[in-house]
Amino acid sequence: MSTDAVAILGFLVLFALMLLRVPVGMAMGLVGVSGFAYLVGGEPALKIVGHTTMRTVTDYTFGVIPMFLLMGAFVSNSGMSRELFRAANAFVGHFKGGLGIATIAACAGFAAISGSSVATAATFATVAYPEMRRYHYPQSFATGVIAAGGTLGAMLPPSTVLAVYGIITEQDIGKLFIAGIIPGLLAATMDMITIVIIGRARPKFLPAAPRHGWSERVAGLRDIWATLLLFFFVIGGLYGGLFTPTEAGGMGAAGALLIGVARRKLTRPEIRRSLLQAVRTAAAVLTVLIGALLFDYFLTVTQTPQQVTAFLTGLGLGRYGVLALIMLMYLVLGCLMDALAMIILTIPIIFPVITQLGFDPIWFGVIIVMTVELGLIHPPVGMNVFVIKSVVPDVSFSTIFSGVLPFIVTDLVRLVILISFPILALYLPSHM
Amino acid sequence: MADPEAETAPHLAPPPRNAMDRFIDGIELIAAFFVGIVAADIFISVLLRYFFSVQIPDSYDFGRLLLGILVFWGIAATSYRGTHITVDLVYANVGVRTQRLIDVFATLVLLFVVTVQTYTLFDKVVTTRAANVLTFDLRLPVWPFFLVSWLGDVSAVVLIAVRTYRLIFHPELLGGRYQIKPVE
Repeated sequence: MSTDAVAILGFLVLFALMLLRVPVGMAMGLVGVSGFAYLVGGEPALKIVGHTTMRTVTDYTFGVIPMFLLMGAFVSNSGMSRELFRAANAFVGHFKGGLGIATIAACAGFAAISGSSVATAATFATVAYPEMRRYHYPQSFATGVIAAGGTLGAMLPPSTVLAVYGIITEQDIGKLFIAGIIPGLLAATMDMITIVIIGRARPKFLPAAPRHGWSERVAGLRDIWATLLLFFFVIGGLYGGLFTPTEAGGMGAAGALLIGVARRKLTRPEIRRSLLQAVRTAAAVLTVLIGALLFDYFLTVTQTPQQVTAFLTGLGLGRYGVLALIMLMYLVLGCLMDALAMIILTIPIIFPVITQLGFDPIWFGVIIVMTVELGLIHPPVGMNVFVIKSVVPDVSFSTIFSGVLPFIVTDLVRLVILISFPILALYLPSHM
Repeated sequence: MADPEAETAPHLAPPPRNAMDRFIDGIELIAAFFVGIVAADIFISVLLRYFFSVQIPDSYDFGRLLLGILVFWGIAATSYRGTHITVDLVYANVGVRTQRLIDVFATLVLLFVVTVQTYTLFDKVVTTRAANVLTFDLRLPVWPFFLVSWLGDVSAVVLIAVRTYRLIFHPELLGGRYQIKPVE
């Protein structure tokens, strides 16, 4: 069989295994090693399994993932999300759609110390949804806002998806985190503007909650000191070069634990739960990374990335035409699989195309994470939608998706803005 | 990472627990303990570096070797709980019977892959010992850390085998949608 035929067969088997619910990392590892064994030999293939697996899991850089996941778990279990929502609500809840704006603001704040879209959506489905329903916000709007707000988790630092992108492409994770700040804030602002527009366009659709006095607003602000402290400590340390990304994660996790314990928000069972949550997710993510690195050997011997690069650059579409094609592919893939799996599976193939076309790898990281995050809210998979549905089972999928629709349009507009003005993503990292 | 088994419906009784379940909990706790140790190692070494200009000997090597241990023990727990990252497009749109068949197939593939991985990792432990690889500062042998990591992978094989057995013969023990509804 020719190398090209093996490559095509390998991808077909990989997709078949994934559709049969074989864990993504294991499927990639199995196909990668089997293909490598067929083309190069069984013994070297077995050698790379032991070597690559051990090298991956004992790479200090990869520690960034469990550390930020641990920080996020401590933050989630110490009730900071509720405080953020309460503070934001005190300031903007009395506007039409104000609770939606408060949800987005609180999601942004939570994302800045958590790093997971799904965790952000799950948390605010329990915190913000009951409050919005109490003031008779439509189910579609309430769930749509939470699903959209959840996606901020992957953009604002620390972001697990950006860290994984950095590991795969060997880019500076610290720079990637910092690059996500302005696009993340832009995302939050545009989502809030979308809510205001919905409120203006359909005046009877969105209610307003009662106005809060200044004493409540000040009390709300007092409550969020811990969140602000943690964010500035971690991201400030990273931006100022005091910590490596892994150290920033470890310091953030320890900081979140100390703050939670000092404020009596984290008891022993919650600490245990946080550790378990972090280790479960970290193991799942690192399994995919191990699989991806094993699959890389297969890609190398079949020269798939080079062939894809030659094909795409030979289409005569120009660099932005190829970029548009790649993003379209990600939007379609987003209908089928999880954001992280998509990044890990495709970036080793797509990244050489991007560098060949002369795009900045840090900027592309931000763009691609934003694109795959769309997959978290658009049908038919929409992981955030599934998460919200599991927390509020009385809402139908179609209701949630109808609420998400305006935010999908906003996300697409934002993508165009970020592609048109790369400086938005590159300004802060250029000063590191 | 959606997992139907993790979603235990409130109206269903929790699955019966036995010694094997406590063993599984123990494995998960070991992994959780290591994640805490890695965070503590980083936190203390950064504090000492900035406030006392002191470096914990081998802090970097301990951090990365403990990371390896936590990942392998974590994979054991994740594999048993079925919380790996999966594509659920087909799974979410078929009946419970087909879902079980898919689960059995996926778990068998998982068992095969992790068994091969465990076999090759043992070779890595042996060659590391033979090469007398040492940590940077304290000159401690690295292979015992690899051995503990490898034991995590052995646990993964055992747990995946248990999961496969339970999926085929006693799915109700896995909880979630495989649970038996209580008699009302």
